Amino acid sequence: MPYHQFECSECIPERLHHAVDKNPGEQLTDALPLGYLNTIPGSISERGCAYCGAKHVIGTPMKDVIHLSHGPVGCTYDTWQTKRYISDDGNFQLKYTFASNMKESHIVFGAGTMLKSNIIEAFKAFPEIKRMSIYQTCASALIGDDIEATAAEVMEEMPDVKVFTCNSPGFAGPSQSGGHHKINLAWLSQMVGTGEPEIFSKYVINYVGEYNIQGDQEIMKDYFYRMGIQILSTFTGNTHFDDLRSMHRAQLNVLECARSAEYICDELRVRYGIPRMDIDGFGFEGISDSLLKIGYFFGIEDKAREIIAEETARWKPELDWYAARLKGVRICLWPGGSKLWHWAHLLHKEIGVDVVSVYTKFGHQGDMEKGISRCEPGALAIDDPNELETIEAMYKLKPDVIFTGKRPGEVAKKIRVPYLNVHGYHNGPYKGYEGWVRLAKDIYNAVYSPIHRLALLDISKDEIPTDKEFETRQTLSDVKLSDEIKNSAVLRQCTSSYDPIPALREKLKKNESYLFPDPETGELRKVPVEKLMKNKVVDVEQ
Amino acid sequence: MIKDMDKKTAEEKMSQLEWYITKHCLWQYNSRGWDREIQNERILGKTKQILCGENAREDDSTADKYYWSEAMTLTGAFKRYFPWLEETSKEDIAVIMHMLKEKMDYTMIKGSLNVELTKEQY
Repeated sequence: MPYHQFECSECIPERLHHAVDKNPGEQLTDALPLGYLNTIPGSISERGCAYCGAKHVIGTPMKDVIHLSHGPVGCTYDTWQTKRYISDDGNFQLKYTFASNMKESHIVFGAGTMLKSNIIEAFKAFPEIKRMSIYQTCASALIGDDIEATAAEVMEEMPDVKVFTCNSPGFAGPSQSGGHHKINLAWLSQMVGTGEPEIFSKYVINYVGEYNIQGDQEIMKDYFYRMGIQILSTFTGNTHFDDLRSMHRAQLNVLECARSAEYICDELRVRYGIPRMDIDGFGFEGISDSLLKIGYFFGIEDKAREIIAEETARWKPELDWYAARLKGVRICLWPGGSKLWHWAHLLHKEIGVDVVSVYTKFGHQGDMEKGISRCEPGALAIDDPNELETIEAMYKLKPDVIFTGKRPGEVAKKIRVPYLNVHGYHNGPYKGYEGWVRLAKDIYNAVYSPIHRLALLDISKDEIPTDKEFETRQTLSDVKLSDEIKNSAVLRQCTSSYDPIPALREKLKKNESYLFPDPETGELRKVPVEKLMKNKVVDVEQ
Repeated sequence: MIKDMDKKTAEEKMSQLEWYITKHCLWQYNSRGWDREIQNERILGKTKQILCGENAREDDSTADKYYWSEAMTLTGAFKRYFPWLEETSKEDIAVIMHMLKEKMDYTMIKGSLNVELTKEQY
């Protein structure tokens, strides 16, 4: 695989080894983009900082926690509400954000005293919340504020609260990935093993690297509960602080986003002997294989097969409706760190699109190994692209749609390439069988939007067609389809509701569908819904 | 030693299995070289045992259960994707799986350009 020279980056020679063209017959051992290196000065990167990676990506999805940034208010404000990591109990973690609001005087005289009073003030303002995470920022780290000592003082004065401290200032790594690493290990060292959970099933997992973007975790939780599996904790979407203190009691760590959360899985394996099982929660084949291997682990593969059969029968005709219309659509799969490999092969195989480029903003070389292996020959793989490189790639590759975050997405729109938000999602959840159909629908809507066709016309020079009347997505998408597909009685458009999550929550509250085997006897029985909503965790004497 | 098939045929079949793994499986991509060695050894070893009708369980540990679960899933996928496996002798399967293990060790560890593989800590 030859390295790819962007014309716009000829003046930054170090960039050459950050992009490769995947050609037929070539191997990963021929060329691999560099990764997880400091951004090269002069290259306008799309990355976030290590503080953002710790706080925004991993910390804040925890739902019953005051998330307080010790630093200037901008740090917390700019990492607030930009990702839809919802929760099932009121979205406290999305509604509020907290900062100690450091100013210049604090840089000179120290901010520890102010931090302590702010922590106490925040707990008093929200007396029902007894858990807090404090995140170090560049400003407070540079003056050497000891957030651990302040947290310890508060916990001594307020015995009913627990405070976790995360020392991952913005400069503590090349990108947000450095923050993922730090908060993984900090949580493991400070919190895991400090709580003992109630075990109510014979089968117990931690679901790791899952952040409940628009309800992803709740879709997967439904499958796990249908198999009788207790989810001790989710690291960290839609989860309680205390659940994550009891991670050491799981029998298996089911790992979704290895990029952000493999560290805690690897360490849990070393320290507690809990195996790490990497899964794909996206795509029909990916989910099916994943449920099956979890089933094998617990000896309940028949339950997994039942779910696979039921869900496939329910949703496959809808997926195929879109796949028939999206065949050959060119996409650039440009997410943050893990979706390039979670999605590349199954987008092509199951939805019919051609992935012409993959990139990762903060991935490591391991993510590129996976992404390059999973995309088809001909694709361009880029590590930590700068804005000019992405524009050059779009002009050369001529994608019909790009999958990325909202900042580069807006850049794409300016050159009239539609984009799908694959960080916070457009109309997620995208996980599970239903979610994969929702993604296909979003791709279809992006590619065949009549409005987008109009946007491609420049009224200052293009001839505006007057012979065409009303157009819809389907009149555009069905032009080349055979009558057999157009008139198929089997295929149908997505029937998923506007938001499928309320129905799942209602199902959970009714508690009619889930049976869990008793840990001792194996007898199947219902578990009180209160435990399913919030498991009991008892403090361990330290 | 290849009994019923020549080396070229065995390599072609091995390449098909390798394609499946690199495209669909995640277990061979652990971030450290020593992890990858263990993953390849245990999962491919058990897959070979299952395909050859041998006992693939060593003990009741969760670690062994994990490797076996991956191997069972991989075996199912291999049979689904490559019907020729059903008609291949156990001896030839053993040879192909040995070649596959060597190739995976080279691609993912010895010949890998991933500089993180040699880091000592997670």
